[in-house]
Amino acid sequence: MGDGQTAMVRMESIVKRRGQADGGFELRVPELWVDAGEVVALIGPSGCGKSTLLDLIALILAPTSAGRFTLHLAGEIAGQDLAALWSRGDEGALAALRREALGYIPQTGGLLSFLSVRDNIRLPCRIKGVNLADRELEALAERLGVAECLDRKPQALSIGQRQRVAILRAIAHGPRLLLADEPTAALDKPRARAVLADMNALARQQHLALVIVTHDLDLLAGHIDRVYAFDLERLSEFETRSTCRPLDDGKRVSG
Amino acid sequence: MKTHRPGHASVVSALAAAHLRHDWILTLCLVIALTAVIAPLLVLLGLKHGTIETLRERLVEDPVYRELRPTQTQPYSEDWFAQVAAWPGVAFLTPTILPLSSVVQVVQSDGTTRLFDLIPTAAGDPFLLENGVPVPGEDEVVLTAEAARLSGVAVGDRLGVRVSRTRSGRSENVQAELKVVGVLPIEAGTLTRIYAPLAFVLDVESYKEGHAAAHRSWPGETPDPYPTFDGVVLLLDEPLAPIVRTGAIIQTGFARIDVITRDQAESLLGLPIPERLYAYDLSTPNAPITESNIRAIQSKLRGREPLILPYVRELELIGADGRRWHPVGLSVDDAQAARLDLPPVPWGGFQVRRERVEELTSALWPTDTAANTGSDMDSDSDSTLDAAPREADGGLKVTSPGRAELSFVLRPLGPSPLDQPLVPIELLGILRTARDRAVTYVASSGRFEMQRAGYRGFRLYAASLDDVPRLYRRLREQGLEVEAALEAIERIQVLDTGATRLFWLIALLGLGGGTAVLVASLYAAVDRLRAELGIIRLLGLSRAHGAFFPIVEGLMIAALSLALSLAVYGALAAVINRSFANELAPDERFCALPASLIAPIVLITLLLACLAALVAAWHATHIDPAEVIRVD
Repeated sequence: MGDGQTAMVRMESIVKRRGQADGGFELRVPELWVDAGEVVALIGPSGCGKSTLLDLIALILAPTSAGRFTLHLAGEIAGQDLAALWSRGDEGALAALRREALGYIPQTGGLLSFLSVRDNIRLPCRIKGVNLADRELEALAERLGVAECLDRKPQALSIGQRQRVAILRAIAHGPRLLLADEPTAALDKPRARAVLADMNALARQQHLALVIVTHDLDLLAGHIDRVYAFDLERLSEFETRSTCRPLDDGKRVSG
Repeated sequence: MKTHRPGHASVVSALAAAHLRHDWILTLCLVIALTAVIAPLLVLLGLKHGTIETLRERLVEDPVYRELRPTQTQPYSEDWFAQVAAWPGVAFLTPTILPLSSVVQVVQSDGTTRLFDLIPTAAGDPFLLENGVPVPGEDEVVLTAEAARLSGVAVGDRLGVRVSRTRSGRSENVQAELKVVGVLPIEAGTLTRIYAPLAFVLDVESYKEGHAAAHRSWPGETPDPYPTFDGVVLLLDEPLAPIVRTGAIIQTGFARIDVITRDQAESLLGLPIPERLYAYDLSTPNAPITESNIRAIQSKLRGREPLILPYVRELELIGADGRRWHPVGLSVDDAQAARLDLPPVPWGGFQVRRERVEELTSALWPTDTAANTGSDMDSDSDSTLDAAPREADGGLKVTSPGRAELSFVLRPLGPSPLDQPLVPIELLGILRTARDRAVTYVASSGRFEMQRAGYRGFRLYAASLDDVPRLYRRLREQGLEVEAALEAIERIQVLDTGATRLFWLIALLGLGGGTAVLVASLYAAVDRLRAELGIIRLLGLSRAHGAFFPIVEGLMIAALSLALSLAVYGALAAVINRSFANELAPDERFCALPASLIAPIVLITLLLACLAALVAAWHATHIDPAEVIRVD
């Protein structure tokens, strides 16, 4: 591994434009890959397009143009040509990939307010059509320290608890790729560190690939396999271009 | 790869249900808002339906409103009954006979006898069945309440009836014992009637007309027709004082006695009247005069030497040569003939039943018409009798036009003293009877015979109220005068149409409002749930499933509202029905929704809820997860 040829996610020459009439933002991804079981961080200041890139990988945002965009799951001979699915607007197939292979941890948890914590965690399983035994669910909750919250509504939880529940929900249905959008932004550092450590441990244990958006690499120290950063260019008063590039991460991570 | 699992619809439904449960106050508000629209509509529909149905059922339950009655007596053939019975909408049809022939005498509880009307019935008679009594079988009868009261019998008792007739001037009667199998309630009518099988009614009729009913051992034979007259001319030597005059006709069956001039008497009788006689015209408007009336007046005026001469108006005989005659009828003995200054007639005085049958068809023929005919003259015949073509035996063939043409042979016995043929008055009376009744002339015996009267009416019941106007029109098209409760039926139909139109107007308004409430509420719900709907998309549901969410919510809210509305309706209907209980029969409802309407109501409501949810669903499909999951 490492050359990205058999990567789980492979992106080449991807462009996403977000335009207003008087100007816009363009994200360019010359090359990006995520291997199975790898932890990849996307870092950069706000507005650099790291969340946009995450949503592209999460299959909820269509690329404006794509040279190559594939998803290759273990056990599959040929990968899914995501670029083709997007270009023909196969909404159903993309939704199916989302529920089968992806887990997403939104910035603010994104729990459904009208479901209990337990039902929130079960929801992706029900959508995927897999069964999650109570025992298994409770064991996971125990591990993340939210076992006592299972029968409450999300509003009754602290922000830290919500994020832990969001992590549980993102992995409960057995995805292959976990996507996290600054999952600890709302937490203080010690708590954030603890949540991330738990998330990482779970991901490693279940051999999930993890793409995490963050602005604070310190929190992830020791967990990252690879980092992508963004170069921002102001093309004009209204035009901004951001280019994603791999960061020579060896030193930084180890340092 | 499967893109839609069947399970996703149920996942979305469960989510929608969870949301409604979670936001239960809002849900309750919506349900109440919709119930406020639906429940009054249900009550309105129930009221409309209940009142109209009650009115209709009151008509429907009384079979009288489904009866079509003939207003005229006229003959109907067996074929006609077979045909009409097969018409769609005819529930029951039975023939009836002449009203005068369908009466029997019943011995009442006080020992006196009384005439009861006999009404034919048959299996399936709705008038009996729907009034809760069985249809009588052989030797069984059903009585009206009044008939049961007068005769003092109850169900299970035997009712003795007597059928009487007058034959050869003698009164005869037979008895029958009939089992009372039912007594109609007083609401079914206050007339004294006996309902019996048609066969029994026909036997009674036959017996009354002189026929035998062998299987009942009622004797009889083919009857002679009885003569009837339009009136009698009374001739007296002395005038009647006015008081005597009016008293003279009491209890004779005559309704009028008028002083007439000699000219008037001559034109009624066709005879010259001697100047010394005083003439009176005795008659009963619209009713025939029979032998018994004549006997009655005769005994009333005994001692005054009355000359009583019956007359028949406007009777023609047509000879075989087509010549029309206006025969004069006169049956007098020699003494009476002398008082009229006329030669005696060979057939003598007035006699309804003659020993010698041939006397009835005797005639004196005018002589002064010989010049008009003569081509067919027998050389050895009496030269005075050559006025008409002769039969081989010397008879004159003539025809009496009427309802049914009657041809017979007259036997000329001599010259007429008048310029028209002179015949026994009884012959004219029989020809008059033959105008209304079937009378035949049997050439071999030279007798007139009365035929059975046949069917003269019907009892017809339509299957439903709505069939009545159609059957009414159809019978009218056949030229039959019938009457039916058309107005009552039409009143209800008009009321029904009006109430239905009113209901739909209000329903349209209400349903429009209800739909608007649902559209706005569901749209707002989707808007509030943008983030949540984005999340479930993110978790792997497609746009279509997102759109399904508000539709399911709409359906659930509508279903809850319907359930609540039906409960409210049920409670209100009970209150309404109880408060009007005094006006209603035990089974009647003022406010009632038929079960058959519930399903359409539910379907329409759910359909409207779906339509209302479509706007919100459209809104839901435009939610982009990437835009809504991130709180900026």
